[in-house]
This record gives sequence, C-alpha cells and structure tokens, in this order.
Amino acid sequence: MVTRLRRFSTNSVTKVAAFILTVLILTGLAEMALYIYFRDMDLQRIFTDDYFDSREFADLMGKAAAEAGEALLSGELPGNVPYHYYISDGSKELTNVENPDRSFFEQFEPAFCALENGRWYLKNHRNFPYSSVYYYKLSNPDVRDVLKETNRIYIAYPKEYTKAQEQEWTQGRAVVIRLVTAAAVGAILAVILAIYLAAVTGRKPDDRELHPGRIDSVYSDILIAILCFLVVPWYLLAFSAFETGPYDRGVLTAYHKGTLAVFGIITLSVTALCGMIVLALIRKIKAGTLVKHSIIYKFLCRIYDFAVSLFDGRMFSRYPLTRSLFYRQLIFIIISFVFVSLTFLFLLTGSLAFIIPPVLEAVVIYWYVKGNNRTYMDINRGFNESFEEQMKSERMKVALITNVSHDLKTPLTSIISYIDLLSKEDLPESASDYVRILGEKAGRLNNMVSDLFDLAKSTSGSMPVDIDKLDLKKLIEQTLADMGDRIENSGLVFRVRLPENPMLIFADGKKLYRVFQNVIDNALKYSLQGTRVYISLEETEGMAVATVKNTAGYEMDFTAEEILQRFARGDKSRTSEGSGLGLSIAESFTRLCGGRFRVDIDGDLFKVTVSFNLAQQ
Amino acid sequence: MDNTAIYSGVARTDKARILVVDDDREIAMAVEKLLAREGFDVIKAYDGMQALEALAANQVHLILLDIMMPKLDGLSATMKIRESRNIPIIIISAKSEDSDKILGLSMGADDYVTKPFNPLELVARVKSQLRRYMHLGDIANGQKSSVLRTGGLCLDTDAKQLTVDGEPVKLTAKEYKILELLMSKPGVVFSAEQIYEAVWKEVPYSVENTVMVHIRRIREKIEINPKEPKYLKVVWGIGYKIEKI
Repeated sequence: MVTRLRRFSTNSVTKVAAFILTVLILTGLAEMALYIYFRDMDLQRIFTDDYFDSREFADLMGKAAAEAGEALLSGELPGNVPYHYYISDGSKELTNVENPDRSFFEQFEPAFCALENGRWYLKNHRNFPYSSVYYYKLSNPDVRDVLKETNRIYIAYPKEYTKAQEQEWTQGRAVVIRLVTAAAVGAILAVILAIYLAAVTGRKPDDRELHPGRIDSVYSDILIAILCFLVVPWYLLAFSAFETGPYDRGVLTAYHKGTLAVFGIITLSVTALCGMIVLALIRKIKAGTLVKHSIIYKFLCRIYDFAVSLFDGRMFSRYPLTRSLFYRQLIFIIISFVFVSLTFLFLLTGSLAFIIPPVLEAVVIYWYVKGNNRTYMDINRGFNESFEEQMKSERMKVALITNVSHDLKTPLTSIISYIDLLSKEDLPESASDYVRILGEKAGRLNNMVSDLFDLAKSTSGSMPVDIDKLDLKKLIEQTLADMGDRIENSGLVFRVRLPENPMLIFADGKKLYRVFQNVIDNALKYSLQGTRVYISLEETEGMAVATVKNTAGYEMDFTAEEILQRFARGDKSRTSEGSGLGLSIAESFTRLCGGRFRVDIDGDLFKVTVSFNLAQQ
Repeated sequence: MDNTAIYSGVARTDKARILVVDDDREIAMAVEKLLAREGFDVIKAYDGMQALEALAANQVHLILLDIMMPKLDGLSATMKIRESRNIPIIIISAKSEDSDKILGLSMGADDYVTKPFNPLELVARVKSQLRRYMHLGDIANGQKSSVLRTGGLCLDTDAKQLTVDGEPVKLTAKEYKILELLMSKPGVVFSAEQIYEAVWKEVPYSVENTVMVHIRRIREKIEINPKEPKYLKVVWGIGYKIEKI
C-alpha cells in the first residue's frame, strides 16, 4: 500500500498535474483578490450579519448626514433625496416631513440618525459619522460649525428603502462569503499541494535517489535573481492594477475585465516559472547544494583560498629559515595594519596621539628589516654550503670515473692480450672458435667501457670542449664520406639534402663528428632493409637544423625519452653490437657543444634533430 | 688490420732488445709474449726505478712504459731517460684523454698507446719506431731540400717517393699530390675546395666526398690505425691537415 502510494505520488504525471493545479489555484487566488477589489466588496460583511451594523449602512446614513450638514451652511438640500429629514440651526428649518418631531423619525429606528446638542447619534455606531466614508465632508473646517449646540438634524430612511438596501447587501454578503470560502479552500489546497510538491520533487518511483531537474545546473544565486526579476515586476504590475482602482465601484467595466484577463495570463506564467524555480531551489536544498552550487559561494571560496594561500605558513614548515621569514612578515603586516588603523582613528577624532603609531611603526620596520637581513644571510650561507657540497661531490664523481676507468681498463688489457696470444696457439678447432668469441666479446666490452666513460665524463661536465667555428654542412659531408663504405654496404639508400652555402656554427668538431657518426650508425643498424635514410640540413630562424630520418625495421615500443636514457636499446633483446649508449652520447655531446638534440618517433619513422645557433657572419 | 700486412715482411729489426715496464705483471708478460712472438728480445721491469736500472745494465733499443706505476711513474721515468738517452719510448697507459697524450709526448715519448691496446697495433707501432730509430742513416740521407718530412713520414718530391718509417709506400698520382700539398705546410688546415683546386685543377663543386675518399685511402696506407690517425687528420667541419711532429 505504502509503495503503491509512493509510486503514485512520485509519478511524473501526478507531479505535473499537482504542479499545474497549484499554479492554477494561485492564479485564481490572485484573480479573486483583484475581482473582490474591483467589485468593491467589503470583507467585513463576513463578520457582520446585520445590515444595520454594517459599514455600508453607516455610509448610507453618513452620506445623508453630510448632505444635511452642508445644507446647514448653504441653506438648501439637493432636490430629491430618498430619506426624511429635519434640519434646523435654531432659527431656520428645513424638512420634507409634515410633522418634524423626533418621535416621528425614531419610528424608523435603526435607520435613524440625529444631531443634537453637538453630538451625532446612530444606533450601534458609536463613531458615526466619522466611521463612514463621507466623514471627510463633515471634517471640512467650513462645516465644523455643524456641531454647534443650536443645530439639530434628524434623518430617517423609509422602511421600503432600507429594505431594498438590506436585501442587496445580504446578497452581496453571500457572494463575498462564497468567494472567501473558495479562496480559503483554494489556499489550503495550494499549501497542501506545495508541501506535497516540495516533498516529492526530485524523487522518482523506481529508486530512492534524488534526481536533479533540468534547471538545477543553473547556479542558485542566478535562480534566485531570476525569481526576483519575475516576482518584483509582477508585484509592481499587481500594485498598479489595484492602483487603477474600481473606476466605478461595484460595476465591472470592459476595462476591468481586460485588466483581469491580462493580469491573469501574466500571473499564470509568472507563477508557473516561479514554481519551477522554487522547486529547483527546494531540490537543491534537499541535495544540500543550494549554497555550494552558487556563484557567490564559489567566488567567496576563491577569495578564501587566495587569502589562505597568502597567510598559510604550512608550506614553509620544512624550511625553518623561510618559515621565520614568513611569520615575521605576517606579524609585520598585522601590526602595520593596526597602526595605520589607529592613526586614522586618532586623526578622525582629532587627537594628537596620531603621532604615536607612526613612531612605533618605524620601530617595527627596523625590527622587520633587521630580522629579515639576518635570515637572508643565513639562507645565503646555507646555499653556499650546499653549493660547495655539490661541487665537492661533482669532483669526487670525476675522480671516481677516472679511477674506475683505470681499474676496468687494466684487466681488459690483460684479457685482450692473452686472447690474442691464445689465438696464435695451435688449438683444437672448437677451442679456437671459443677464443674467437672471447675476442669479439672482449672487444665489445672495450667499446662499452669507453662509451660509458665518455658519457659519464660528458654528463658530469668534466670533459674538456674545444669550441671552434666550423661548417656544419662540411662536417656532415665529411662524416658521410668517412662512413662511405658502411653506407654503401648497408643496402639502404641515403637521400642527402644539404644547402649550397656553408652553415657556420660554434662547436667542438671532434665531438660533433661523434654525434653524427652515432646518429647515422643508429640509422644503419636499425633501419628496415631497402628503405631510405633522409639527411637534411637547413636554416630556420637563425638556427642550423640537421635532421636524420629513417624507417625502423621493427616496432618501436618506446618513447623518445626512453631511447635517450642510458643503455636504452631499440631492440629489447640486446644482441647486436654496440654499447646502447650511442644516442645518449650523441645527445650529451650535442649539449656539451651548446646545441639541441631531439628525438621524434612517429609510427615507424625515427627522426633525430640536431640544431645549433648560427654563428654571426 | 689490413695495414699490418705492409709491415709484416719487414725483418730488419730482428733481435732488437725491448724493455717492457708495467706494474701489472700479467700485462708485462703478455706484452713480452706478443713481442717475443715477433722475434724481439724482451726485458721486463715493474716500476720506474727498476726500468732505469735495467736500462743501465742492458743494451736496449726501445722502451714500452706504463704511466701509473709505484716508486717512479712513467712520465718522470721518461724525463729521466731523455736526460741521457735518445732511444724510442712508447707510453702504454689507461689514461686516454687527449691532454694525457699531449703531456706524454711533450715529456719526450715518441708514441702513445692507450690501454686496452690492440696487440697487432702495438706490434706495428713498436716496429715503426724501431725502423725509424735503426734507419737514422736514411734520415740523414733525406736532409735534402726536396724532401718533406714530418715524424716518420718522408716525401721525396724529386723521386716522387713516400716512405713511412723508412718503408716505401705506393701512392696514386692524386694521393701523392694531396700529400705533397698538405706536407708542404704541416699543421695548416686545407679545405676540400683548396685541395681540389690544387690537385685536380678544376673549379671545385661538391667535392667534399671526393676529397674525403682520397684522404681515407691515404690514411689506410700511412697510418698504423686509420681510425686514430697520427699524421693525416680530419679537422671536422673545416678541412684536413698533416700533423706537425
């Protein structure tokens, strides 16, 4: 049962129906209010069941009293009046009855009012005629005289007349009661529906999740702003609709009907839109995102973060010197702020004490600068110490490289020499094969050791560089010619495109030769058989840019960075010759000469770019 | 090592006595065996002091000397020996920097071989030094103005004949002309264009490759290790030169 109710209540059709109903009811209530106003229906009638106690009756009597009062001054009444009257200022008398006796008028009670001895009388209306809408006519200074003791007024309405009035009033009262009852019921219904909608909005029959609506992605403050932009003009419009007022009270003209229609349509749309926005806001409240999902909140968060980042000392916690700098700065700012505020305060109050804070501030500045200078000195000392540490370790590294180099080369010398001696011995065939293999491996080990030390020296900065002005074009041509035999025998086609003019750069020729030798060597070793190797040199933006492009003979499952790492090898198996340091050495040597070395891998295309600043002509 | 074929037939240095100095006894022994195999008479010493003693006690024609040794290091020993003797000294060292080589040669050594060395190359260098040392008569012979000389390289421009450490080497006409041009001004760098113009007598256009190929061939004929040439050097990105020795 509960689930069925839940299914029904969270059903989207039910919700939409409830929403439409709520909007219609609210619009109806607004229309009703305007209608009641236009029809000039007095809501007090609901609480007064006797016509003669009503305000309308007081107004009826008041109107006559006012006319009578005016007649006292002007000496005449408007021609045909529906009531009996007797007006006297002590000497002159006006009346439309034959026997203007009080008892005559009293018989029409309660439709009887009197002015005697400067006092007004109307049964059940103690404040008569001041409670009636015609009171203004009697409060006119000119008619104050009406209250003279000598004046006397009797007014009474005939029974037939009041009977008709009473009937009309009772009918009107019934209408008002019906309207108000309907309004009350509607309002209660609207409240219930609104509570229901607020409860089920965002819920769906199938789960217990909260589902955001379409407009929930709009920031809360924007939603509220839209709400205000809808409600405020609507309120002004309603106000002006009421302002126009009943043109002719009690009767609906075409103008009133038009106003009612236009107001109704506008109210309907405004209510619908506002309803949707309010529901969206309610969904946000339920989701707890009303405040967080707003521009203002985000903005404040930014400001807060910014402020925190300025005054957060945590990031310095590991560095005692900078931390002391930071806290000193914080204290300085706060104290300075206090002093500046105090100065302004004293200035505003005109006190001479405004001189004191600047003096104290000067002391604080002295403390701040002095302390900071001391800390900076400490930092400098620490920096120098660590710099010297580093230099020392760098020197140790170089010494280590040299020593290890010597220690490795000495046994290698023995190995290679004795292998050579062995190879000259008369050995069985298998043994001389083994010796041959030993010779090859020893040779490779030798190459690796020397490559390794070249790389170690060049990266540790202990390799001397002999920079000279040279022609990069010539160097590439020389390198290619130097490797001519290997290139011819490689089965690869070399496409070389070099510029007409020399490309003068500053570099160490020997090292740069190693660079191009290694790069071309790499292309020779790892290119796919029968493919082309492209070598080009051109000038771009004041740089001499040399590129070597080749198609790899295998899948390159590594990145450009990886291939430059020491001992990285194109083929993972590491069976072929070489130390695997070729490209690393090329990169290191290029940098040593002041150039840039770059590797790009695109599919099977392997591209090396070596660039140098052109020497000034 | 094809180039060693050039020297393999040379046997005029037979029974020359060589002093091998290295604190690593295994290396000293290996070198002894390598040289003995070539028919040399070898004496060993294991530090600088021993080397000087051995030198005083024996008739020695050539010294192979390690640098890093106890008591007296190779460089100091070289200086000591040079005070009284003129025999060829070849330094064998694990120090492979250019600066180490220059230092060793300037101390009076005649050649510098880095460890680990190629045994064939070592033998070739030993033979080369011995030939020069033992054929001083040829050198005296070549004091004519028509002879261009640097180190063991000797170019007789009259006879159009090149000898390396006294051994005649056959050159083609172009190779000869290139060498003549370079040797006329040792230490001076010639560009490929200059060489081409002087040798081919044509307007040079895209000649780097042609010249470089010739240079490579010459190197194979005159250098013991063409990969680390002693005489004919490429100045990368600039040109070519004959080292002034």
